[in-house]
Amino acid sequence: MMRNICLIARREFWATVATRAFVVGLLILPATIGLFALIGPHIFDPDGFRLKGEMAVVDPTGLVAAELRKLYDPGAVAARQGERIAVPALPADIAATLGQGPELHILERPPGADIEKEKAWLFVQPKGMPRLALVVIDPGALDPAPEYPPPAAYDFYVAPSLGDQARLEIQQGLREAIVNARLLARAEDGAALRAIFDVPRVRSVTVTQTEQRETVGGWNTILPFVFLFLLFGGVMGAGGQLLTTTVEEKSSRVVEILLSAVSPTELMAGKLLGQMAVSMIGLLLYTGIGIAALASFALTGLLDVSLLAYLFIFFILTYMVMGSLMMAVGAAVNEMKEAQGLLAPLTVVFMIPWVLWFPITRDPDSVLSTVLSFIPPVNSFAIILRLASNSPPPWWQVWLSILVGVASVFGAVWFTGKIFRIGLLVYGKPPSFSTLLRWAREA
Amino acid sequence: MFSEETDNRIMDTAVELENVTKTFGPVTAVRNLDLSIPFGGLYGFIGPNGAGKTTAIRLLMAILLPDSGRIAVLGHRAAPEAKSRIGYLPEERGVYRKMRVAAFLEYIGSIKGVRDRGLHRRIERSLERVGLGGTGRKRCEELSKGMLQKVQFLAAVIHEPDLLILDEPFSGLDPVSTRLLRDLVLEEHRRGATILFSTHVMPAAEEICQNVVMIHRGRKVLDQPLDAIRSRYDPRTIEFEPLDPDADVSAVGSLPGVVAVERGPRGYAIGLAEGSEPAPAMRRILEAVPAARLALARPRLEDIFIGLVSETGDTEEKKRQLRANLGGAGNGGPG
Repeated sequence: MMRNICLIARREFWATVATRAFVVGLLILPATIGLFALIGPHIFDPDGFRLKGEMAVVDPTGLVAAELRKLYDPGAVAARQGERIAVPALPADIAATLGQGPELHILERPPGADIEKEKAWLFVQPKGMPRLALVVIDPGALDPAPEYPPPAAYDFYVAPSLGDQARLEIQQGLREAIVNARLLARAEDGAALRAIFDVPRVRSVTVTQTEQRETVGGWNTILPFVFLFLLFGGVMGAGGQLLTTTVEEKSSRVVEILLSAVSPTELMAGKLLGQMAVSMIGLLLYTGIGIAALASFALTGLLDVSLLAYLFIFFILTYMVMGSLMMAVGAAVNEMKEAQGLLAPLTVVFMIPWVLWFPITRDPDSVLSTVLSFIPPVNSFAIILRLASNSPPPWWQVWLSILVGVASVFGAVWFTGKIFRIGLLVYGKPPSFSTLLRWAREA
Repeated sequence: MFSEETDNRIMDTAVELENVTKTFGPVTAVRNLDLSIPFGGLYGFIGPNGAGKTTAIRLLMAILLPDSGRIAVLGHRAAPEAKSRIGYLPEERGVYRKMRVAAFLEYIGSIKGVRDRGLHRRIERSLERVGLGGTGRKRCEELSKGMLQKVQFLAAVIHEPDLLILDEPFSGLDPVSTRLLRDLVLEEHRRGATILFSTHVMPAAEEICQNVVMIHRGRKVLDQPLDAIRSRYDPRTIEFEPLDPDADVSAVGSLPGVVAVERGPRGYAIGLAEGSEPAPAMRRILEAVPAARLALARPRLEDIFIGLVSETGDTEEKKRQLRANLGGAGNGGPG
């Protein structure tokens, strides 16, 4: 019996692995991640944005426009750029490499200017130096009433082409200029006041029994996601493959030749093991890449090795359940499109972990998280999210979840074995759920 | 358990079915089927489409399990134990389309228990034998339907089985391939294999099988050696072609023992009365009208089958439909 199972598993393995589609599919994820790592910063880099243009200011206070000019003075801009990388006097070539700062020309309008006419100024956009906005400072902007919410300090009119990032950056500048003007009006030392309020956030240090290291921000959120992704991806990929190959074997009628040589149980077990070996390749590869990436940043200490062991245990359990059920669907239908109806409940099961990922990682010890850890087949997803969270469950919950998983494997394999025995040789109208249950009772 | 008599017989027979029944919902595909095939037998399992042949074969192969009754194969009381000694060509044939021909045969051979290191060489020789030399490296999807059927037959015999079960083996084959396949089947029989093949094309069975098992609506209606069937179902018809096509044959109708004279496209069919000896009747016909050809019509299996399964009151149309089903339009019999 074992010999036949191994022979079937071997064929299943090589028939999947020795294809271009598998190799491409396996490498496409790390290749995509690598590509994003290379070109992502260039595509999504917010520093790549540069504010450039003219802004008209009607300032009855006489101070805000002056503060704005100071703020956007090229020398001041270069100094702030240098502060970003802690170099006081930024050489020109480095400044060029970093990207240039904002270039905003402040055009002061007389205090009694006709606002409607000034708005018309925005309608014409010269090439090279766009007209970005008109700001009308409120006469009482420097003496805000002590009320909440505070009254608006200025009116802000913008050209239709002004983007969100530019708008926000201008408003940030306006805020700073108005605050500086208010301090100036009170003859306060702005720099001294700013120093009082400025308490920089320091980086925390994570302390363990064996080491202490700088805290990696977002690790407790990313890690459960990565584990969920590995578990889901492996099970989904292999399950889909099992469904496809079973349907192919049935529709090409080769299955009867196989059943003349092996039992349905041997066939099912062989296919399950073969595809499990296939998905293990992906799991090992992606896990290996992840560990290598951590090692390259000297962060391997962040990863608890037992987590990896649990990942593989829960992967096997989930794969056996979902793979079996996918095979049962494959055995019941004649072609892939007929499988959609029967796959609907399995698709819902696959969606549950993604829906529950956030609530579980946010509160791994909640009643919801705990209960889900014992409900098959989502228990594996729930417990792996909890294990990878900052508050892992107690050991008895983990092993109870494993027990639940083992029981559900037996149930799923038993059910699929029954469906296999009947479904593989039944052609014609695809069965309903009630028919599947009847087959399971009758076989 | 088998009956005591059957229990003793199991060791001497290749196939033993006792009172086997299989139903699918409201349909009884096989009903109380008894069958005993000795080692070395060459049995034709015949009946119209839907008679229950394929279900009976699947039961025999343990692909399906019976609702009741017992099945023993090659001396094993449980059919699965003998799977590796059985060659099977199912009615619904299939291959792994992307797999190479030699790899496919090697795979099937392996799961059939062949551990021979010379399996690859044996596959090459077999492919040569059926005119498919050089196709071992081709993918199955590159072969024509006829070529694939040969590959599938090789898959059924690659492990030199003791029992070869062929479900509608001649279905869809051209005359040349049919003759080749018939020769291969007979070759397997000469090698010593017990052979059971099903067909709804009666002439195919008449041509090669030694024993005939007829099945209709899940029930066995006949199980006898072909020779015994022929002698049991005495010929009652003489084929007569007068020397002169325009000769008056009315005298033949009044000869002793003659009950009917029917004109056909190539002469006359002369029906004899029950119990009449054909030889004296033939002599008397010759004396009455000079003959270009005079022959005793051999009983055809399909006539015997129709005679067995026809119920009183069956219309000629119903019989014609049954005959058409057995003739198998589009299903070539052996050439």
